[in-house]
Amino acid sequence: MILEAREIKKQYHRDNILFSAVNDVSLSIGEGEFVCIVGRSGSGKSTLLNILAGLLTPTSGSVSFEGREYGGMNDGELSRLRNTRLGYIMQGHNVLSNFTVLQNVLLPHIFFKRDDDPTDRALSLLEQVGLRPLASQYPSSLSGGELHRVSIARALLMSPGLLIADEPTGDLDEETVSEIMGLFAGIVSKGTAVLMVTHNSDAASYADRMYTMQSGRLSEM
Amino acid sequence: MRRRSFLTFSDVVVSNLKRRPFRSFCLISLVAVLAFVLFGGSLITCSLINGTDGLAKRLGADILIVPKGYDKMVEGILLRGEPSTFYMSADWIGKISQIEGVRSVSPHLFVASLSAECCSVPIQLIGFDQKTDFIVTPWLRTSLPGELGDDEIVIGGSVSGKVGSELMFFDRGYRIAAKMENTGTGFDSSVFMTMKAARRAAGDYVSMGGTFSPPEESISSVVVLIEEGFTAVGMTRKINSTFGYGKSGIVVVPTRTIIGSVSGGLRAMTAFTVILVVILWVLSVLVLTIVFSVTLNERKQEFGILRSLGITRKKLIALVFLESGAISFTGAAAGVFLSALLVFPFRTYIQETIGMPYMQPSFEKMLAIAAASLILSFATGPLASLFSSSKMGNSDAYVVIRDGGL
Repeated sequence: MILEAREIKKQYHRDNILFSAVNDVSLSIGEGEFVCIVGRSGSGKSTLLNILAGLLTPTSGSVSFEGREYGGMNDGELSRLRNTRLGYIMQGHNVLSNFTVLQNVLLPHIFFKRDDDPTDRALSLLEQVGLRPLASQYPSSLSGGELHRVSIARALLMSPGLLIADEPTGDLDEETVSEIMGLFAGIVSKGTAVLMVTHNSDAASYADRMYTMQSGRLSEM
Repeated sequence: MRRRSFLTFSDVVVSNLKRRPFRSFCLISLVAVLAFVLFGGSLITCSLINGTDGLAKRLGADILIVPKGYDKMVEGILLRGEPSTFYMSADWIGKISQIEGVRSVSPHLFVASLSAECCSVPIQLIGFDQKTDFIVTPWLRTSLPGELGDDEIVIGGSVSGKVGSELMFFDRGYRIAAKMENTGTGFDSSVFMTMKAARRAAGDYVSMGGTFSPPEESISSVVVLIEEGFTAVGMTRKINSTFGYGKSGIVVVPTRTIIGSVSGGLRAMTAFTVILVVILWVLSVLVLTIVFSVTLNERKQEFGILRSLGITRKKLIALVFLESGAISFTGAAAGVFLSALLVFPFRTYIQETIGMPYMQPSFEKMLAIAAASLILSFATGPLASLFSSSKMGNSDAYVVIRDGGL
């Protein structure tokens, strides 16, 4: 198993009332698996993804990645895990406007001391997502679909074992959704596991396993 | 050879500063103003302190006696080198030396050269008696092996001329026998000659049609050293009572009065500089804190993206510190540079405007002042970003992302 979550619970206080965003969720993802979670807004999908990405600490339960529990890791270790083994595509157009497309893709490489030059790999990833000619462009000149593809290329730069994508097809037309899902299928075929949250049932149909989330509870479909 | 990556951590810092050029420019300018005032103010204050110390050392007398009504003029000569011509009878040398408690007396004769073809420069010529002098002679011994000849002069540090060359005063040439080090006092722009040469110069002045004719055997001032156990104030009172206060035609000036007036001005100026610097420093830290805090809120989305990509909390804080540090360092360097650009070339103008003894400190001391100004100004940036970075450092990565609206 690349990722294993056991009895995850996340509770918040909202107006002095205890609110469970994620309730007893257990989930295992194997290498090269494509797992999809669907559910309505506010059902706890994004909270769950943030917990699985190590960005949010659960109230109870445990998450382990490649056998290492998040609870035993400090911020540096968790950050390195996110940087190298866990590609995370957040909701929305999460690219930095003051960097070119290529620089955005190169970003994960600069956070830890490394001797290799990732430029060729970044250009190759841009080629794969069809953005090689736009490498020197700034995000302001890109469409929504193109921005999503920049995020995908960036998440893949460090060759992660798992790609977590939060609504990667939101606000996109059918053709672009199909292009992006084709990209994900290609990533999975190369051995990278994908965990995707989406509203789009067409997109969900690409997954090996599908879950639905309702009021913080996860159930397999 | 390894190809340079298209992106480095410092590129992120620079790029963020370039993204808001006007904001960055304003913040840099603010720190630059602080560094400008800090370096310029400190350097000027230090130069004034140096000048005052120099004045105290160079005066070397406890009391000055000048003709009544010329006490302010003698201050002008000593502090600023303003040329003046005034005379009193040489009898005063003997009269003063008779008073109990007086250790040494020596006369000075002042002749102001003219701004005309006859004279190389309009300047204060000071004649001194080499036998009795205790002010110029000890100072001269370091640079002049023998006695000064009647056709020779010693020039102050600010007077143009090389040793061995000549300067003209009232159509007569004088060989420069020595040049003094700068002292920060009016002596820097004065020319020293023997008493005989000064009398001759005064005669030359009259023979050239000068309107002010000095009486025979006249002098301009008497400098007095007093015995131990006597005070300058007590001796002033004694001289005044001996010769009749206000009736004698002389005025007794304790040198401490001159130094005291300079020190008083200096104290006020130092206090003003310190207050200005403190206000500017606090203001800079405050403005930068507010701006960085506002900017932090604007940049939560960016920080959220960086956290999701694996930047550590420490590195994110380092990013904020580097950005603020880059702003404050650029401002500090620019401010010190601009200040140096103004203070060094215009030091004569500054000296004249302030009207106090002024002597720039040694190169090492100036370097130390520049370094201290740089450090203090630079510190404003990282200090101002402490609040925002600690706020960010204490936040869960998810909170940063959620607040960033992702």
